[in-house]
Amino acid sequence: MSLILLILATGFLAQTAEVRNPRTSPEDVAAGRKIFRSHCAPCHGLQGEGGRGASLAQGVFFHGNSDADLLRNISEGIPGTYMPGIFFSENQVWQVIAFIRSLNQQAKETLIPGEPAEGEKLFHGKGGCGRCHRVNGSGGRLGPDLSSIGSSRSAAHLRDAIVNPNGEILLPYWLVSVKARKGSYSGFRLSEDTYTIQILDVKEQLRSFSKQSLQELKIERVSLMQSYKTVFNDRELEDLVAFLSSLRLKARTQ
Amino acid sequence: MKSPAFVLWTLIAAPLLSGQVSHQRLLNAEQEPANWMTYSGSYRSWRYSPLDQLKPENVRRLGLKWVYQMKTTHIVETTPLVVDGVMYFSEPPSNAVALDVKTGSRFWEYRRKLPGKINVCCGQVNRGLAISGDRVYIGTVDAHLVSLDAKTGGVLWDVEVAEYRTGHSLTGAPLAVKDMIIAGISGGEYGIRGFLDAYDAATGKRRWRFWTIPGPGEPGNDTWEGDSWKTGGGPTWLTGSFDPLQNLIIWGTGNPSPDWNGDVRKGDNLYSDSAIALDADTGKLRWYFQFVPHDLHDWDATQVPVLVDEDWGGQRRKLVYWAHRNAFFYVLDRETGKFLLGKPFARQTWAERIDENGRPVRLPNAEPTAEGTLVWPGVQGGTNWYSPSYNPRTRLFYLSAWENVGLYRKGEAVYSPGNRYIGSVPQIDLPEDPGWGAVRALDPKTGEKVWDYKLHTKPWAGVLSTAGKLVFGGSDEGYIFALDAETGKELWKVNTGGNIRSSPITFLDGGKQVVAIAAGSAIFTFELRD
Repeated sequence: MSLILLILATGFLAQTAEVRNPRTSPEDVAAGRKIFRSHCAPCHGLQGEGGRGASLAQGVFFHGNSDADLLRNISEGIPGTYMPGIFFSENQVWQVIAFIRSLNQQAKETLIPGEPAEGEKLFHGKGGCGRCHRVNGSGGRLGPDLSSIGSSRSAAHLRDAIVNPNGEILLPYWLVSVKARKGSYSGFRLSEDTYTIQILDVKEQLRSFSKQSLQELKIERVSLMQSYKTVFNDRELEDLVAFLSSLRLKARTQ
Repeated sequence: MKSPAFVLWTLIAAPLLSGQVSHQRLLNAEQEPANWMTYSGSYRSWRYSPLDQLKPENVRRLGLKWVYQMKTTHIVETTPLVVDGVMYFSEPPSNAVALDVKTGSRFWEYRRKLPGKINVCCGQVNRGLAISGDRVYIGTVDAHLVSLDAKTGGVLWDVEVAEYRTGHSLTGAPLAVKDMIIAGISGGEYGIRGFLDAYDAATGKRRWRFWTIPGPGEPGNDTWEGDSWKTGGGPTWLTGSFDPLQNLIIWGTGNPSPDWNGDVRKGDNLYSDSAIALDADTGKLRWYFQFVPHDLHDWDATQVPVLVDEDWGGQRRKLVYWAHRNAFFYVLDRETGKFLLGKPFARQTWAERIDENGRPVRLPNAEPTAEGTLVWPGVQGGTNWYSPSYNPRTRLFYLSAWENVGLYRKGEAVYSPGNRYIGSVPQIDLPEDPGWGAVRALDPKTGEKVWDYKLHTKPWAGVLSTAGKLVFGGSDEGYIFALDAETGKELWKVNTGGNIRSSPITFLDGGKQVVAIAAGSAIFTFELRD
C-alpha cells in the first residue's frame, strides 16, 4: 500500500518537474516579444520592468517561478489580482514565457564583475550610505530603503543612480520646503492632494500641512544625495553595485 | 360609486404606491426629484436635480448619513438608482444590491457566478442598473443582460448578448425606454464589431440590433479597408439619452480597433467615435455625427449626450451638448446631427480647429509613432465617461476636465479572438508630467470657460448640479465636494478615503435631501445635520 503511494507520489513529482517550455528558439523569443508588447506591456512595461503590474525582468515571480507556474498564470490569470488570463494557444503562451525568460537571462548576464562583500564594506564605510538608506531594518530613512533594490533595479540603473542621483527621483523623494506659521521645514514629499501635503522632514519627523495655511510651498525634483562619481573609483563602484544587486526579495510560491 | 376625484387620486397615486416604474414615470423623472430613476437622472441626461434644500448657505452642514461597504476588490464606477425608498446599485464585477435608503440596510443582493477568465480592457467594472416596472436590469462582464425582481433580486431572465470569449462584455448601465431595455457593449480593445441592442423588458427577447460598424452593402462600410470592419470596434459602453418627442435614442460610440495603429483600417471608420441617433422602435439610424474620423488616439465618443432645447442663432433649437474625449466641446442639432460648435475646453495639440462641417483640421505630427509622439490630451482625453451636468438655473455646463499629455506609440496589431487588439502601448501617465484636473464650468453657447475648480490630480468622478445652485463632484484623492454653481467656490468637502470613480446623485429620504456617491468600495450618503 505505502509502496503504491510512494510510486504515485514519485510519478506526480516527476510529472510536474517535467513541464518544460518546449518553445525556446530565438524565433519563439521573437514571437513572444510581439505578443508581450501588445498584451503584457501595458501593465508590465515594454521590457518587463513593471508598472501597474509586477516587474518580470528580474526573474522573481511571486506566484511561482517554474515554467508550469508561468504557463498557468499567463493562461488562466491570477485570481484575486488584476492579472487576467490571455486567450492564446499554449504554444503562444510558451513563446511569451520564452521572451520573459530571455529578459531574466539578460538581467543575469549584465551582472557585474564586482565583489558583493567588498561592496558591503564600502556601503557602510567609505560611502556612508547607511546614514540615509536602510538595508534590512537598519540605516537612515532619508533615501529609499534598499533591502530588495536588486529585485527591482538593474545593475546599469544602480550604477547610474550612484553617479547621477538627479537622473530619476521617485515622487516620495521630491524635495519639499515649506514655510508655516510654526516654522520652516524641508523634507520629502510622501503624498500630496489638492488641499494637503505630507512630508518626512530631514529630522525624520512625519508632518502634514494644509496647503492653504502655508506662507510658502516649494517642490523641487532634486536629490539630496551627492554624486559619488569622484568618491569611488571604477573598481569600488562595481563592488558597490554588486552588493546592491545582491539585495533581493525571496520568491514565494503559491 | 366612487367620486371622480377619488378615481383621479387613485390614478395618480397608484404607480407611486405600487413601486412600479412605468415609462410615464421615467418620461417625467424630473418631476419626481425624490427619486433617481435612470443613470443620468432623466432621459435628457442633465444629471441635474430640481431639489433646492441644499444650497450655498447651508451645505457646509452636510454630514454622514450612512455608508454601505461592498464586498469587492474591483473598481467601483456605479451610479445608484433610488425609487420609492429603495436604493439599487451594481457592485463590481456584475452583482446588484438593494438597500433601505433610510438606514443603508440591505434588502437583497444578487451575486453572479462568473467564468474564471474574463478579459476586459480596464477592470471588471459596472456603471449601474436600469429599472422598469418592478424589475431591475444589469449587464455583466461575461456579456449577459439579466432581469432581476426588484423585490427579491431573483433572476427573471438571463440572456447572452454576445460571446464573452471574444472580448465582449457589458459594463455600462442599461437604459429602460418604453417596454425595452437598451444595452451597449464593451470590447473596443479586443477587436469586437460594436452594436447597440434593444431587448423586450418582459421576455429578454431581442427587438433590434444596430451594428455601429456597417457590414458590406450598408452605407459607411466603404469607410473601412477590406475586412477591417469585422474587427472594427465602435463599442457603446456608456449610457446614452432618449428624446421622446423625436422617438430618438442618442448614444455615443467608442474607438475603432485597433486603437493606435490605423494602417489596417484605412478610411474614416464609421460609425466609430460618433454620436448616433436611432429610432427607438426600430433601431434604424436617423443621423450620426463622427467626432474623430479615423481615430488613432482612443478618443471614444463614450460620453453622456446632454439634450437641451435652447436658442441658437435667434431660433429655438433642439441641441445636444457633448464634451468629447478629444478635448473639444461640441454643440449639435438634435434633429439632424448638424454641427453647430466645436471649441477646445482643455489643452490639445492635435487639431488646428474644427471646420464648418464638424471635421477636425488636424495638425501635423500628432500621429502615434514607433518611438512615441507627445500629444495633448493624453489617452484618457480631456474628459472621459464620467458624467457632466447641465443646470437650467445657471445655464452652465459642468464637467470633470483633464489637462494631460500622453505618449502615443504605434506598434503591431495582429487580431486573435479574445485578445487585446490595440496596436501599441501608449504611456498614459508621464512621471515628469502627470497633469492635473479640474471641475470646469463652460458656457455652452460659446464653449468658453466660466470657472475652474482646480484639482491636484485628474478626477474620474462625474458631477451633479442642483436647483440649489450647487455642483457636487469628487476626486481621485477621495474627496467629495460641493461648489457654488455660479462661481466654483468650494463650500464643503470631506475625505472619504478611497478613489472616487463614479458620479453623484441626489434624492429625498423622509422629505430630506440626500447626496450619494460611490467612493472606494462603498456607497456614501450625506444629509444636513440639524
